[in-house]
Amino acid sequence: MSALVSVVNLRVSFVTRQTRVEAVRGVSFDVRHDATLALVGESGSGKTVSAMSILRLLPENAIVDAASRVDYGGENLLAAPAARLRALRGRDISAVFQEPMSSLNPVLTVGEQVAEVLRLHRRMNARQALERAAELLAEVGIPEPRARLRAYPHELSGGQQQRVMIAMAIANEPKLLIADEPTTALDVTVQRQVLELIARLRERHRMSVLFISHDLGLVGEIADDVVVMREGEVRESGPTERIFSAPRDPYTRALLACRPRLDARPRRLPVIDDFMRGGTAPGAALERPPAGANLVEAKGLRKEFRLRTGWFASKSLVAVREVSFGVTRGRTVGLVGESGSGKTTVALLVMRLLEASGGEARLEDTDLLRLSAAQMMAFRRRIQIVFQNPYASLNPRMSIGRTLTEPMRIHRLGADEGERIERARRLLQRVGLPQDAMHRYPHEFSGGQRQRIAIARALAVEPEVLICDEPVSALDVSVQATVLNLLLDLQEERGLAYLFISHDLAVVKYMSDEVLVMREGEVVERGAPEAIYRAPQHEYTRKLLAAVPRGLEGR
Amino acid sequence: MVPTLAGVILLIFFLFKFFGGDPSQILAGQVASQEQIDAIRRELGLDKPWYAQLGIFVREIVSFDFGKSWMTREQVSGIFLTRLPATLTITIPILLLEISLAIPTAMLVAYYRGRLLDRAVMVICVAAMSVSFLVYIIVGQYLLGFQLGWFPVQGWSDDFWRNLFTYAPLPILLAALVGLAPQTRLYRSFFLDETKSDYVRTARAKGLSEPAIMRKHVLRNALVPVLTNVSLLVPGVFVGSFLLEIFFSIPGLGREIYLAVNRSDYPVIQAVTIYLSVLTMLINLAADVLYTFVDPRIQLR
Amino acid sequence: MAAVLDVTPESAWTALWRRLQQDRVGAVSLGIVVAYLVMILFATAGYLAGGWSREVGVPYANPAFLGERPNLEGALRKRAEHKGVAPDLSAIDPLAPKYAEWERRTGELKMTEPERAMTLPWGGDRWGRDVLDKAIKGSQVSIAVGVAAALCATLIGTLLGACAGFYGRWVNDVLEWLYNVFTSIPSILLIFSLAAVLRSGAFAHLFASGIWTVVIILSVTGWTGMYRLVRAEYMKHRSREYVLAAQAIGASAAARMFVHILPNVSHVILVQLSLLVVAFIKVEVILSFLGLGVPLDMVSWGTMLSEAQTELVIGKWWQLAAATVFMAIFLTAFTMLTDSLRDALDPKLR
Repeated sequence: MSALVSVVNLRVSFVTRQTRVEAVRGVSFDVRHDATLALVGESGSGKTVSAMSILRLLPENAIVDAASRVDYGGENLLAAPAARLRALRGRDISAVFQEPMSSLNPVLTVGEQVAEVLRLHRRMNARQALERAAELLAEVGIPEPRARLRAYPHELSGGQQQRVMIAMAIANEPKLLIADEPTTALDVTVQRQVLELIARLRERHRMSVLFISHDLGLVGEIADDVVVMREGEVRESGPTERIFSAPRDPYTRALLACRPRLDARPRRLPVIDDFMRGGTAPGAALERPPAGANLVEAKGLRKEFRLRTGWFASKSLVAVREVSFGVTRGRTVGLVGESGSGKTTVALLVMRLLEASGGEARLEDTDLLRLSAAQMMAFRRRIQIVFQNPYASLNPRMSIGRTLTEPMRIHRLGADEGERIERARRLLQRVGLPQDAMHRYPHEFSGGQRQRIAIARALAVEPEVLICDEPVSALDVSVQATVLNLLLDLQEERGLAYLFISHDLAVVKYMSDEVLVMREGEVVERGAPEAIYRAPQHEYTRKLLAAVPRGLEGR
Repeated sequence: MVPTLAGVILLIFFLFKFFGGDPSQILAGQVASQEQIDAIRRELGLDKPWYAQLGIFVREIVSFDFGKSWMTREQVSGIFLTRLPATLTITIPILLLEISLAIPTAMLVAYYRGRLLDRAVMVICVAAMSVSFLVYIIVGQYLLGFQLGWFPVQGWSDDFWRNLFTYAPLPILLAALVGLAPQTRLYRSFFLDETKSDYVRTARAKGLSEPAIMRKHVLRNALVPVLTNVSLLVPGVFVGSFLLEIFFSIPGLGREIYLAVNRSDYPVIQAVTIYLSVLTMLINLAADVLYTFVDPRIQLR
Repeated sequence: MAAVLDVTPESAWTALWRRLQQDRVGAVSLGIVVAYLVMILFATAGYLAGGWSREVGVPYANPAFLGERPNLEGALRKRAEHKGVAPDLSAIDPLAPKYAEWERRTGELKMTEPERAMTLPWGGDRWGRDVLDKAIKGSQVSIAVGVAAALCATLIGTLLGACAGFYGRWVNDVLEWLYNVFTSIPSILLIFSLAAVLRSGAFAHLFASGIWTVVIILSVTGWTGMYRLVRAEYMKHRSREYVLAAQAIGASAAARMFVHILPNVSHVILVQLSLLVVAFIKVEVILSFLGLGVPLDMVSWGTMLSEAQTELVIGKWWQLAAATVFMAIFLTAFTMLTDSLRDALDPKLR
């Protein structure tokens, strides 16, 4: 049977004032009728541009090669007149995007926006369109659909906003739904719900779905066919079963292997290079030092935010409630939870970057929360932090050399500037960066490299405790492994105590010796990673585990 | 609002008290004896301590009684009321004209962004903005009034309608045209910012045409910064036309202030400043309320 | 999403220079602005237009490009120069007996008055001063005022905005109150109030000469825009991770504000500064026109325009043209340069 949509030899370039960059270089794939095709790749792979080319929804400076074709229903969409394309958009082929909050018009009601796509392609008056919109909202699982018609996007949660986007997309019973990372911005549990919704709708309306994602676990569960892309080219494509069980391309194999698995804990995570050079996955299991006296001990941490809601009234928001834990030298305590669970707040409290409302945090015998700013200075040497966003945690206007020597200067490490520069060089070497990085600026480095620089900066003062706040969440899968391996190596070398925070259960389980599950400011369960995985006690933990995409096993 | 008002009163009081000249000297004039000056001092209460004087000042503000203008001996409150209508006859039409012309022009130019029309209009705007308003008035008055005789060069009457249709058109025309350039540039940037949003991409994905996107989506969102801008311009209607009033001999509030500055007539300046500040604060408050209707994300605190 | 670019390592300023060069309009504008700056430097040093206040031509001397148009006032003056004889009014003139004595006395004085020119390159004003010289000197004064006022306003606004945005809480509340006080007063009234007190008040003698009165008036009225901008930027940046990281390694508040955040905000400040320069020049012109700006012994574009108004009626348009042309070219070039600057510094376009 012929394909619903055929992309043939797609080439797309972007033009800026100085350069011309080829984002997609000769990509071809077919979307079958009534099936889900996943476009998988890391950032920069060109998957979004390829998918958006089908609808010609590209930025103004994009140039599509004349020889490229997108065949649909016998015509080449790339050559079709604008009016024809507009008729197809929202009717035959529709799209759902990654950020639902900004993809909805903030000043129009939800009902108006859904009704708009209906009235555009069908003969309906306003009242009929709103009626139908209410039905669609009900179909996508929005509670009280009628009342919600009059709601504005900012009044809905992220998951609900995405459902509204989906409602708009399926309103006219399209043959193809293009979903661009629709769940990436959502919490894991909400993600699960949205995916189930899409699957249900697909079956009911006999729709094809073109699903774009970087998450192989997800793709393995939901897709019928997979196209793996890297740097603008297709590396491998075929049915999901085959790709996952017997991948042929080294990049595909690397991608599949790099993710920390929930059921194994190897000494080192495999990285892309291991596969690209023709090697195999490393073997031995990880050995950890035994539990001992706590270096860092937190008891009853509490943080309450006061929000002014009026002239004299205020509301309080408890972000962290009674959180306690202890970390030994050379071991890791993991904090896992979704957004709003308070895990990052805990990190900021311990670092005194945020003032706690109660509780204590002891480093050996001193309660860090009771120290004055001057006294805290001495302790800032002993406990450091690595942040989530490598693009935001380095000062864009400071050279790497200065970024590394500044903490040394503040804490008077190193006899003079020359010695400090020497130390900085050695740090760079340790984290695997070239020496000439000293004079360069953050924007010249990739996300993974920047995160390694951030780690180097944290190590510059030779701390004993390192707090890692979602250190790999903003990185591509292949890069995550490099950074996690580095963190483990450093811990072994220097006996560092880690507080490791993440929303990614697999990563937390891999890195930690003890796991704390947080929800809405409280610790709902704690225990050894294996125990949590095999026999979760709390209902929320169970829900969290069930929501994690597991690739082929989840089908 | 009250703390701000207190701040304004304090600022004006201390500004005139410590930086201004001795009022008794100014009032007494060039040739006056020491006794006369002292008498005036007592009358004005200048021999009292500064906090008592501040008290007098506040009382004057609250009771709308600033006494008389030092020069014209007219009640200051009277000056305010008699000059305001003339000013408003000019400024309100200018504001309305500017906005109603700038929005469609900006929308049009934003629609054709990057192309010749957009760039040409923008360059013309920049060049037009680089010529002083004074030049426009001087040349406009000379060409259109003096040479061609299409409008009277100067003048004002007591009849509102005669003013509106005979004496006001030339100043209104000149000001509106001059104000059009910066407003268009500003509104264009608002529209352009909106066109880069994600919700515009969604609208395209639905199949909407570019003109429809502009009208239904971009315009609504761009109105938010436009409203901010307009609310900043509204307080300007009370004195903004002072140049026009001076050139065209229109007896408005702006010209009155200018004359007061020239003759160091402090009560007039102080009174007008305080009252217009209050008006500005009230207008800002009203704008805040209006916002909640335009932008549903904003809630009144 | 694009594939990885071939990025050559360069600092933000090198990148800026490169992008400006490629932007033709920006490059031309930069050239014009630099030309003006050179002209101003020479004028300040006195090499150019130093003698602008000397009456070197006849009143209303024609511009060279107009040549021999009829110039009634000029011709009269020329004739008076040469003939030097007044009609005989001794019959009714009470001072008539004194003339002989005064003639004798003036004959003893040596006066060297140079021959007054009939035409000047760009014409002469009412007293025969060279309009071209005035335009050049006026450029110096107006631009100097604009730049000085913009720098002062930027200094005030940046300091206050940084403190308000960074510290928040009560510091922010106090500064916001101050901001509200200044913005509640319509700026024209604040300008007029300041002008009134500074001319006639206790410190009038301090400000009698020089451009500082105008600079003070402009910066005291104009700092609020910069404050708002800088405050918003600091509020945005203070919770950014690189600032938190700086705090984590122990950097002081001052270091965080000025060593870390300020370089990241400087491009915004620079663009706003340029906008202020343009705005302040335009206000200075109006103030000087009204006599509330630069003192009487200085010339600015505004004072030229105030003379131009009456001149136009009798058909002498060249002073108006000179002031307008000099001003328009500079402001257009400066505005286009600011636009190019803003585009070139926009990190999203990099």
